[in-house]
Amino acid sequence: MTTTARSVPSGPAASGGLGLRARVTVAFALGALALSAVLSVATYTVVRTQLVSQQERAAASQTYLNARVLRDGLRGGTGAGSVLTDLQTPDRGGVVLRQADRWFGNSVIVGRDTLPAALRDDVAAGVAATQRFEAGGESWVAVGVPMPRFQAEVFGVFSLGEVERTLEILGYSLAAVALLTVVAGAGVGRWASGRVLRPLGGVSEAAAAIAGGQLDIRLGARDRDLAPLVASFNHMVDALADRINRDARFASDVSHELRSPLTTLSTSIGVLEGRRGELSARGREALDLLAADVRRFQRMVEDLLEISRFDAGMAELDLQEVDLAELARHAVRGAGEVVPVVVRGGRSTVPAEVDKRRMERVIVNLIDNARAYGGGATTVEVAAVEGGVRLEVVDHGPGVPIEERRQIFDRFFRGSAAGRRGAGQGSGLGLALVVEHVRLHGGRVWVEDGNGARGARFVVEVPRA
Amino acid sequence: MQAVSARILAIEDDERIRSAMRLALEDEGYEVHEAASGEQALQLMPVADPDVVLLDVMLPGIDGFEVCRSIRRSSDVPIVMVTAKADTHDVVAGLEAGADDYVTKPFVAKELAARIRALLRRVRVTDPLSQTSTFGDGDLVVSPEAGEALRAGAPVRLTKTEFRLLCELAHNAGKVLSREQLLDRVWGYDYFGDGRLVDVHVRRLRAKLEPNPAEPRYVVTVRGIGYKLQP
Repeated sequence: MTTTARSVPSGPAASGGLGLRARVTVAFALGALALSAVLSVATYTVVRTQLVSQQERAAASQTYLNARVLRDGLRGGTGAGSVLTDLQTPDRGGVVLRQADRWFGNSVIVGRDTLPAALRDDVAAGVAATQRFEAGGESWVAVGVPMPRFQAEVFGVFSLGEVERTLEILGYSLAAVALLTVVAGAGVGRWASGRVLRPLGGVSEAAAAIAGGQLDIRLGARDRDLAPLVASFNHMVDALADRINRDARFASDVSHELRSPLTTLSTSIGVLEGRRGELSARGREALDLLAADVRRFQRMVEDLLEISRFDAGMAELDLQEVDLAELARHAVRGAGEVVPVVVRGGRSTVPAEVDKRRMERVIVNLIDNARAYGGGATTVEVAAVEGGVRLEVVDHGPGVPIEERRQIFDRFFRGSAAGRRGAGQGSGLGLALVVEHVRLHGGRVWVEDGNGARGARFVVEVPRA
Repeated sequence: MQAVSARILAIEDDERIRSAMRLALEDEGYEVHEAASGEQALQLMPVADPDVVLLDVMLPGIDGFEVCRSIRRSSDVPIVMVTAKADTHDVVAGLEAGADDYVTKPFVAKELAARIRALLRRVRVTDPLSQTSTFGDGDLVVSPEAGEALRAGAPVRLTKTEFRLLCELAHNAGKVLSREQLLDRVWGYDYFGDGRLVDVHVRRLRAKLEPNPAEPRYVVTVRGIGYKLQP
């Protein structure tokens, strides 16, 4: 029955770091970033190439046109300087002419010196050329057309400033869109992961409920993709419930079978006890031994049956209004002890709504425990507290070591201290049953130090029903 | 101990338990008749004419509940059910079938004897609550002396425990009696009796007395406290 728990890693996050949801969100955001970056760069490059070459073509055609006008003028004998006024000039830029060694220009911003040397060399060599260049913090495109017949050259200088500005705005827009896309990607990632993980929330709720003992809980298959998970989960719970029920039934069946012989035993002992006088001293001694152990045996069977009902989830609460102080006094009497019941908080009664039989078992078991291990209970204290009632059984024994304060409520727990062994009074289930009875009431039980350095104090708190 | 020997019919299929019970009860001064099955018990009933019946619920053949119902058809004899479990529906089912009280296995002989004594006391003792009282302008008449209750002029068939319960309520007419008080006075329990005994008996009483048992006019519930008989 002893199995070591093994954990199956459920992902890198299992060892710390970001959760699944955060990782999906980040992945979506990064994906969106990469995608929008690629798209933006591509868009920017295409648009830029397109715009610049468009501007270059416009510059070239205008310059050729100017060259034709100049040629016509020169043919007609007009001087280059006079033709200049007839030439078309770009909005920003200008036209530069050379005839023989003389240079003419119609712009203050651009002139002979503005033209890049490489362009001038090309044109001087008789080749029409186009070149982009920077001057005065601005981009320009210059087109040069040679007219060797007239020993002239026509240059058109056009500003690319407008194009650059357009591209700048485009760049900003693309960056803004990329940013929005990243945010949207993260949002979609978060939403999608939430949607995907929501059924897992159902699984965890179901698992928690099952751990809490509700073995009849199963998952419903709402999503086809989750069907395998749901099926194996439900299968696991079936197997678990089956096993628990089998174990519980076994304990219950065994105890049940023991009832009949026990009834014969206890009834026959009753007959013998009624006829003690007819027995010899040795016979009486033997009868006392027999009676004590049959009682213990009977108690064990009752406790086993009780706890198997808890295990089978068949324990039901039968709440009644009672005075806890009165109930405690009856329980103390029932346990065969003379222990004062103290009502704290300056009152005489402690009204409570509890299962009388179970609460009586709780008190009797705690008193029995104190008798077996704590030299007998010294007081039973009851009090109404915020939101419920509190009951304490105090003894003056050796106390419970801190490291055992949890285990002491385990089934069949035998403490380490020497005095805790061998008394062999109870079934070993007394405190475990206390826990179960109290838990059924929705309450808590724990042990702390008694009065001063010595003793133990078992505290039961039950909330108002 | 018992001055007049009361007769007990013990119905139990386990021979050894039956023998042990006989020994214990005979030592208490009772005259014990045994039956190993429900069929045998029903044959024996008229012959033995017991004062108390001890009835195991788990019987081969016809079960304890059925035996209980059969006995109730012809007799108001006190019946103690012997059940295996205290907190299952067995107890309520047994009480609904007409049992007066129950003990759970494994029981102690003394406990069983105490239950029987309480039932016999209930039947024999005629105590101060002997005055006849009427309710609802004579619609309901309880006369302990005559040992009968009349509803609309006709006698109502009650078991001895039901009648005793009615007498307690009638004696304290208009006053609320808690379950504990009723358990103590009618069944002889000291505090730790089972409240379901009272609840089921009240239900049985209502079914026989009330014009409309779903809306009781005489035996009313006082929430959280107990029951009272409305004058």
